[in-house]
Amino acid sequence: MNPVLEAIDESAALEQLHELGCTDGLPVIIPTAARVERMVLATLLDGDLVLGEMGPGMGVATVEKVAIAAVMAGCLPDYMPIVLAAVKAVILPSFDLTEMQSTTHCTAPLIIVNGPARITCGPVASGFGALGPGHRANASIGRALRLAMINIGGAQPGSSDMALLGHPGKFTYCLAEDEEHSPFPPLHSSLGFKTDDSVVTVIGAEAPHSVIYSGNADDPENADKLLAQLAVGLANFATNNAILTGGAAVVVLNPEHADIFSQANMSRDDVQNKLWQFTHKPVSQLQQVGGAFGGGRDPDGDYKTFNKPEDILILTAGGSGLYSMVMPSWCAGKHKNSAVSVLVETDQFCEIPL
Amino acid sequence: MRDGINIAKLGMPSVALVTEDYWPQGDFVAKSLGMPNVPRVQLPHPVAGTGETNLSRIAEQVVDDIVSKFKSSGDL
Repeated sequence: MNPVLEAIDESAALEQLHELGCTDGLPVIIPTAARVERMVLATLLDGDLVLGEMGPGMGVATVEKVAIAAVMAGCLPDYMPIVLAAVKAVILPSFDLTEMQSTTHCTAPLIIVNGPARITCGPVASGFGALGPGHRANASIGRALRLAMINIGGAQPGSSDMALLGHPGKFTYCLAEDEEHSPFPPLHSSLGFKTDDSVVTVIGAEAPHSVIYSGNADDPENADKLLAQLAVGLANFATNNAILTGGAAVVVLNPEHADIFSQANMSRDDVQNKLWQFTHKPVSQLQQVGGAFGGGRDPDGDYKTFNKPEDILILTAGGSGLYSMVMPSWCAGKHKNSAVSVLVETDQFCEIPL
Repeated sequence: MRDGINIAKLGMPSVALVTEDYWPQGDFVAKSLGMPNVPRVQLPHPVAGTGETNLSRIAEQVVDDIVSKFKSSGDL
């Protein structure tokens, strides 16, 4: 059982939580014992079950502590399988949570949900405005992970979370893939999971950068032009991807842009391969803008922004139109900011009536 | 949608062409600008960028509806 704070009413409790640095700056739902118990009950897990440690404070994440974060964030109990999977993902050593939370870069965990849990544990939006306001599951699941990173991981701006500015995705950053409108297999099946699995993929990412492209089906170079435009956004010389190299990044294709690749008979692998090639850059340009990062390379050669095509995650989401999104990344830490995927365990969860 | 409404407000016949994905937004704009029944014709989505052949095919499909809506728009 976690320590219990006392207050004369919920308003006073909220002020207390703000003063203690337990919030993200916005009002939270007060995690009363009854609300937390209800959230834990939905998991059918022991509240004391340890999921792991969260850096940089190395707080121990238990089911109960994650449930507290979920209550504070405004989650429904139905969302808990996804919240738990997201916490498990960032705890994995390959996520480098301590380094990611401590860096001066703006990185924030982008949560991508695939499989049936998009519906059964949500719905997690994947269409119009999926990364914007108005979708409770997207908003509160991402926020729950952030509150866990604050209250279990100990991330506080300026003392342990050293992001120079951060970005709005540090409040919440969660969407589902629009598998129904994607011409490709679901992202998680390309990552080695079964199609009917539910999976959370988390990657530390910059804020989404909008990429405009107006297609022309009569142009035989339509797909290549879209790829070139995406590559500019993905690895422009202001990004860590172009300067530090070797990290991962995300491309969120809106269904219309995804269809351009489908019309060109391109698979996800094809798109990844081409983007990987299109983001190879001249060393001479790196040496002009990259300072010390440009040293030690042949000035007449090219270099690879991404080590391998699979480091570029491709998914379909959003409304259909002119704009896709790219999310460059931090590209640092022992594992170079790699994406981490975890199964969403839905079989032992119980439905909690409202 | 907004262009169609602005033209209609000038007293000229107008028919807005709205693609399927943006049809709910068209309804919202029409209501919020006080002309919920402003004539409109639904197009498949997407239209832009789908090539001249497809544009011609869509035009063939909707031209009668557009003309019909123009003829009846004076009744609003």
